[in-house]
Amino acid sequence: MGIEEIEVKEDKTIEELIDELGLSSSPILLELNGEIFYPDENYDKRLKAGDIVAVIRIVAGG
Amino acid sequence: MRGQRLNKILLYNEGADQALNIEEIAEYLRKKLAKVGVEVRGDPFAFYLLQNKILDYARRIASIKIQEATRRMVFGQEPLYGEIEYEKRRILGKTRAFGILYDGLELQRIFWELIPGEERRLEFVHIFFTNRLFATWEESDKRYHARTSVYGMPSIISTTGVVEAPAKPREYYLLKQQYEMLRRDLLELKDAFKGRFIDYEDERLTEVMKGYAMQAVFYSVLGEPFCEDKGCRLYNAHWQEELIFAQLGSEYEFCPRHTKFLEDEEWALRR
Repeated sequence: MGIEEIEVKEDKTIEELIDELGLSSSPILLELNGEIFYPDENYDKRLKAGDIVAVIRIVAGG
Repeated sequence: MRGQRLNKILLYNEGADQALNIEEIAEYLRKKLAKVGVEVRGDPFAFYLLQNKILDYARRIASIKIQEATRRMVFGQEPLYGEIEYEKRRILGKTRAFGILYDGLELQRIFWELIPGEERRLEFVHIFFTNRLFATWEESDKRYHARTSVYGMPSIISTTGVVEAPAKPREYYLLKQQYEMLRRDLLELKDAFKGRFIDYEDERLTEVMKGYAMQAVFYSVLGEPFCEDKGCRLYNAHWQEELIFAQLGSEYEFCPRHTKFLEDEEWALRR
């Protein structure tokens, strides 16, 4: 599945979340509160416990 | 099967093949997705790009050219002056990119910046049709593979990729080697296989691209653009014959599961 919703369990940065999920070298976008962004442009952004982050995998075809 | 709610589908023409009729694709989407707005925006650079940013974008696009299919590119190197000028002319619509292979993920990221912040939301499906040929790096065999599409924000679909990425019939490649050895005209070979693959300025292109546009829609709704059913337009064809069957030859457009999803319409937000 290309879009997966993750509930953040404790306060952390986007970079910490990405590392934790083992996605630092994967082509993904993130969605938080309706807004989509590239994780590496927002590594320092802080997430709060309870935030729902959608991980959107970029998929190539053909 | 529930999915992300959609608000609007936005179609862009970034120098796509001249046989592509985007208005016809828009009309098709309006019929299939009656509760979702569809808007044709034309050239994304003309629509969004400020004149003082053209050189910057030209430089960045020139820097994502793939030089060798078996060597993973390290981006950020300064391109040559001529390469930047070429891309500048391309952005301004004064020439058409051809014979250049770009990194698909990097190209998508450049296109992403053209989308206004308020439309960078899952409820908006941005689809860029381009004639740029792009590829993505595969770690499994350590090489770039040409692609027809990259689905994300935006989804990019290549009218050159649909010709070059899915493989032609095996016999075509065998005969091509013989033709090249004997220095025979390759156009004769193309004629012999006419209809068995999508070609440049192919009259079937618009019909084929409707299916790829639907893959982009399903990607945004479900996160999954593809279907395993070879007769469904969402089938991820790696061969031209598969592509032609899924998009033009199958007795049905979508498999029962995806047909039901389209009929359901729960995911449509508003028009």
